[in-house]
Order: sequence, then structure tokens, then C-alpha cells
Amino acid sequence: MRFGRTVAGRQARAAWMFLAPGLALLTLFTAWPLLRTAYLSFTEYSLLTPPEWVGLANYRELLGDDQVMNALQNTVIYAVVVTPVTIALALALAMALNAKFFGRGIVRTAVFVPFVVSLAVVSIAFRFLLDPNYGLVTHWLDMVGLAPTQGALAQPGTAMAAVMAVGVWKNVGFYMVMFLAGLQSIPRDLYEAAQLDGAGRLQKFRTVTLPLLSNQTMLVSILAAIASFQVFDQIKVMTNGGPAMSTETLVVMVNRVGINNLEFGYGSAVSVLLLLLILLLSMAQYFYFGRKQVRY
Amino acid sequence: MRPTRRTCIAAGAALALTAGLAACSDGGSTDDGGPVTLTMWHGLTGPDGPAFQEVVDAFNDGQDEVTIEAEALPWDSLYQQFLTAATSDDGPDLVAMSASRLPQYAERGVLAPTDDFYADDTYMDTSVLAEGAVQASVYDGVNYGVPLNLGPVLMYWNKAVFEEAGLDPEAPPTTWEEFEEMIPDLTVDEDGDGTPDQYPIAMGDHSTVPVFPSFLWNGGGGVVSDDGTTALLGDAATVETAEHWVNLVREEQITPVGMSGADSDQLFQAELAAITINGPWMTAGLTEAGLDFDVTVPMAGPEGQSILGDVVSMTVSQRLDENETDAAYQFFAYWESVESQATWANGSGFPAIRTDMPEDAVTNEWAAVFGAPEVLENVRPYLTGVPGSGEINEDIFTPALQSALNGTGEVADLFPAAGEEIQAILDGGS
Repeated sequence: MRFGRTVAGRQARAAWMFLAPGLALLTLFTAWPLLRTAYLSFTEYSLLTPPEWVGLANYRELLGDDQVMNALQNTVIYAVVVTPVTIALALALAMALNAKFFGRGIVRTAVFVPFVVSLAVVSIAFRFLLDPNYGLVTHWLDMVGLAPTQGALAQPGTAMAAVMAVGVWKNVGFYMVMFLAGLQSIPRDLYEAAQLDGAGRLQKFRTVTLPLLSNQTMLVSILAAIASFQVFDQIKVMTNGGPAMSTETLVVMVNRVGINNLEFGYGSAVSVLLLLLILLLSMAQYFYFGRKQVRY
Repeated sequence: MRPTRRTCIAAGAALALTAGLAACSDGGSTDDGGPVTLTMWHGLTGPDGPAFQEVVDAFNDGQDEVTIEAEALPWDSLYQQFLTAATSDDGPDLVAMSASRLPQYAERGVLAPTDDFYADDTYMDTSVLAEGAVQASVYDGVNYGVPLNLGPVLMYWNKAVFEEAGLDPEAPPTTWEEFEEMIPDLTVDEDGDGTPDQYPIAMGDHSTVPVFPSFLWNGGGGVVSDDGTTALLGDAATVETAEHWVNLVREEQITPVGMSGADSDQLFQAELAAITINGPWMTAGLTEAGLDFDVTVPMAGPEGQSILGDVVSMTVSQRLDENETDAAYQFFAYWESVESQATWANGSGFPAIRTDMPEDAVTNEWAAVFGAPEVLENVRPYLTGVPGSGEINEDIFTPALQSALNGTGEVADLFPAAGEEIQAILDGGS
């Protein structure tokens, strides 16, 4: 292709010039690390000596590794619980905060603020709040007879529930804002028409709101699912994968295997497994919501 | 040709860049026998940091051939940053690290052997150094470090809590049996909800000094054999000892489950636990908090009284040349001198590493307690000389112990299985 001789060529050249910085950054910080990780997953690499090609050995080991299966299970449990709960709660909050009432701005801000705060800071704060001896949340739970005897983060049965709750609380505001934007773009006359047809609130929600929010729902679902599969910070700070690896997800495991044990080849193989999982999930969501998209 | 404005700017920028790069390069090291500057990373961020720096300053001020630039980082940051720094050849010249971490780097050729330091009396008579501390940095028959500190882990008890419990505040338990007899007295459940408000002992089960492994030693078992070749978690003595202590935790609630080392320290400092087992670094904080406490050797088990001893070694980067290595050894010898060890012990509460310290040199009472002959003679380092020590302790032993303590599995099943995983690592698998 020769740019610059025709109008279309000049436009293409201008487009490429504007795209170039973004593409360069994407190549440098996304594509290259991705390819490098894929390559390293076929090697034994301790960072201190050059990578040594081992073929599929890491993948064979990965399939029979109980720790990988445990991390995979924890990741799936986290994603399966946190994603729908976050989406449902975000939608409910968006519906409630779309209505006009006194102090709406303050409530919206209060719901959104946790998303802005650093996840590490939030996690440290919740470690204090859940402390068995002086944690405020533990104290409240104790008042209603629900406090775990050793503290929520110290027991395998409750540690995952605690980090999941923090994950939902932290992110729900962000998705709520996306739903709010979607709700405000729905033409009022559609609701009026539905009302004239005798539709109740539930019917209006089912036949007008939900279908017209399908774009937002798709985007939120994909983003929330990816975020759930990639959960790291809060688990690293709150439990470091424990107790007894009950909260270790795949990303936390990648960090442990790579940084702590200097097994970057094996860690890369676990990363590729995670990448494939997210890719499959995103594709499935894309096609599912793509078919359901509605426009009036 | 007259230089244009643009040429001047370019030349200035190049000059600034060159100067910048020069400033980024390793200290002021030279290989022509001139003054040498060595950077050193360490993790002494607590009350022990100023005592270490005092010795470094005295060394720097006492001569003009070698300068040590010491930088303190939290231990976990140090290990993570050292890894990447070592690969880029832009890291520190000297690093203080736990002796149990050292094989991981020595195995990969990041550290230089320090056998020459011990070879003869060129730098000092190394036979005066505590043998356990010196041996802790030996990996595969080669010594890769010089001891910076030796931290025996002893038993702290709160005398006020003992008195309130109706026990003799001057008579802490000396055996496991004595401790078990005291459990009902030292447990307080004020609200009667079944969860103690005061515990007999505070023991962390992760991110802490490995107290449980020392219990296994004193019950006749262990995690790994002393020669680092055999996993012991499946042995009958280990399983029996572990079951004993796990039952005390699960049935008698002698300590909360799931505490890190920091949680455990807090519990003892808040006077919610009567006993804890910890290193000398804790004395300063407890004294400052005004606790009525004392320290003694941990209660003995049926098979012995080995005392866990953590050793931090000063290691040398493999990229140092002969001149720089000589400078490093000069500093190490200075660190181990009577004068420096007195400064260190008195300032930090750690015992001196020399066994020939003059009687009046160490005036810090805690340094004297932690450096008592009966302590140093029984000090036993944990997992030193084992390349996969971090993985063995944190990824295999700790989760197995936590599962047992939480009741999600039984010791008889968990420990032998964990032992097999450890053996695979020791055999060179993964």
C-alpha cells in the first residue's frame, strides 16, 4: 500500500500515525510479555541463568499438580461467586440510585469511592477490621453470634468468603457507574409506551431495561469475570493464599512459584493456563451476549 | 565550524547522560588498589538497625581505604529486589540474608564463596566465632557467608500473667509436661463463649520463626534431616509429636490458630498470652511497652532441648574482583571484632557471635541471656544448606500444619504426604 497519493491513503497514514504510540505501547507492554511468557512456559528458567528448553514438561507437570488444581478450583469458585454477585448488586444499586432523591450524589460517591482506593490499602484495612481480637467487623459479628472463633481470615472455611466479600465491596461501585450510564441512555418514551400497554414495574424492567442494557451487561460481565480470574492484590495482602492454601488463586500461585521459588518456566505455564481460561470465557460471553443484543 | 545552539544542547545532554550513567554505576569501586566503596543491603529495619549502622560508621571513619554504604530494606522486599538486581548485575556488592535463603542463590552462582576468609588468619582468627553460626552458611561443602548475627529463639513469659493465674512468676515451665499442667491456669475465658480471652501461649503458624519445627526436633522428629537429604515428616516420632501439639491447639485451645508472627507478637504484647517463643529482636519492644517479662530456654521435649537459631549471613556478590573482595573481608573482620560485637550486642540485644568476649564487654542483659553458653551450645539452625528451603517450609510444611491445626485434615495423613513432596525436592525433582 502506498500512502499519501490519494485521499484514502492520506487518511490511512494519518490514522496509523495516531495509532502508532498506542500500538507501540501495546506491543511493548502486552504483546511482547505475552509471547515471552508463552515461550518461557516451555523452558526451565530461574531468572539467574538463561532459559533451558524443556518442551511440554511444565505442562505435563501442571496437569498432575495438586497445587495447580487447588488454585484452579479456588479461582473458579471466586469467579463464579464474585462475578454474578457483583453484577447483580451493581445493577440493583444503579436502579436504586437512578431514582431522584435527596443526597443521591453523596450515596453514589460513597458506593464508588472504594473502587478508587488502592486495593492493597483496602486489604490492609480489612485485615484490621476482621482481626479476631480487636476487629470491628468481628465485634459486630460477635454481637449477633456469627463471629468465627479464630477470626475470618484464619480459617479455611471462612477466609475465601471474607476475601470474596471484600472483592465485591471494592468493585461494585465501578460497575454501578457503567450501569447508571446505560440506564440514562434508555429513552423515557419506551417506558411511557410500556406503561400505556399496561406493563407493571417488573415487566418494564424485564422488557425494556434489561434488553436495552445488554451492551452494558456484556461489558460488565466480561470485565468483572476477567477481574475475578485475575484476583491478586487483596488475596496477597489479606491471606497470602492461606490458610492451608485455601485462598490461593492461579495468579497468587504464579507469584509464589515465580518470585519465591524462582521457577519462572513453571510459573509461565500456569499463566498460560489462566490466559486460555480467560480467553475461552470472554469468547463465550461475547457470543452469548452478542446473540442477545437488542436495539429499539 | 562554530558550534550551533542545537549542537551545544546535544553535547550538554550527552555530558549529563554520561554523568548520570556514571552515577548509576557501582559505587566508587576501583580495581587499581585505590579506595573501594561497597554497597550492602540488609533487612535490619527494627531496633537492631541503628546498632548495625553504628558499627558500619565506625568502620568507615576508622580508615580511608574502604567505604561501606549500607541500605536497609524490609526482608521480603530485599529478597524480591535482590533477585532482579542480581540478574542485571546492578545489585549490591554485599547482601545480608538469612542463612536458610542462601543456598537458593549460591546454587545459581550469584554468590561468591567466602572460604578464603576462613582459610587462615589473614583477616582474623575465625575459630573464635560460634561454630553453628559459621556452619549455617555452608552449602555443598563451600562456605558462602560470614555471620552477621545469631538469633537464638527463646521462651518469653509474662510474669504478671503468671502471678494473676496463681502461678509462681519466677517459675516458667521447663518441660512440656509442666506446661500442660499450667494450661488450665493460664487459659481465661471471661465471657464463657468457649473462646479464650487469654491464651497460655502465642504461636504463629505462618510468616514467623519456625517454632513448630523446633517442637518436632524436641519430640525426636523434624522436617528434614540435619544433612538435608531426607524428609522426616512421615516418621513416627514426627507424626506423634505433631499430633500431640495439634491436639493441644485444637482441643485445649492453647493458642489461636492462623496467626502470623506479627499477630503472635501483638497477642503477647497485649498480655493476651502468657508465653511466646521468639528471638532477641522482641526484647526492645516489650521493654518499651512496660511488660513485666523474662526470657529463658524453651521448655524441653521428651527427646531434647534443641534451640532454634536463626543466622543472618553477610554474603558477597560473585561479580566482585579480588580488590573488592579483600575490602569486603576487611569489613567482615571488623564486624567480628570484640569492639564491634560489643557495640552490636549492647545496642541490639543479640548475643555476640564471638565465643571469647571479655566478661564485661556485653552490658545488655538480654544479649547476655541470649548469648549464654547453654543457649549457644544448643542452638540449631533450621533448613540451612537446603536449596529448596523456602519452598519446603512455606509451600509444603506450613500448609500441612495449617490444615491439621484447622481440622481440615489429620496429621497422620497430611504429614507423610507432605514428607513425600519434600523428599522429591531434596532428590532434585520439584
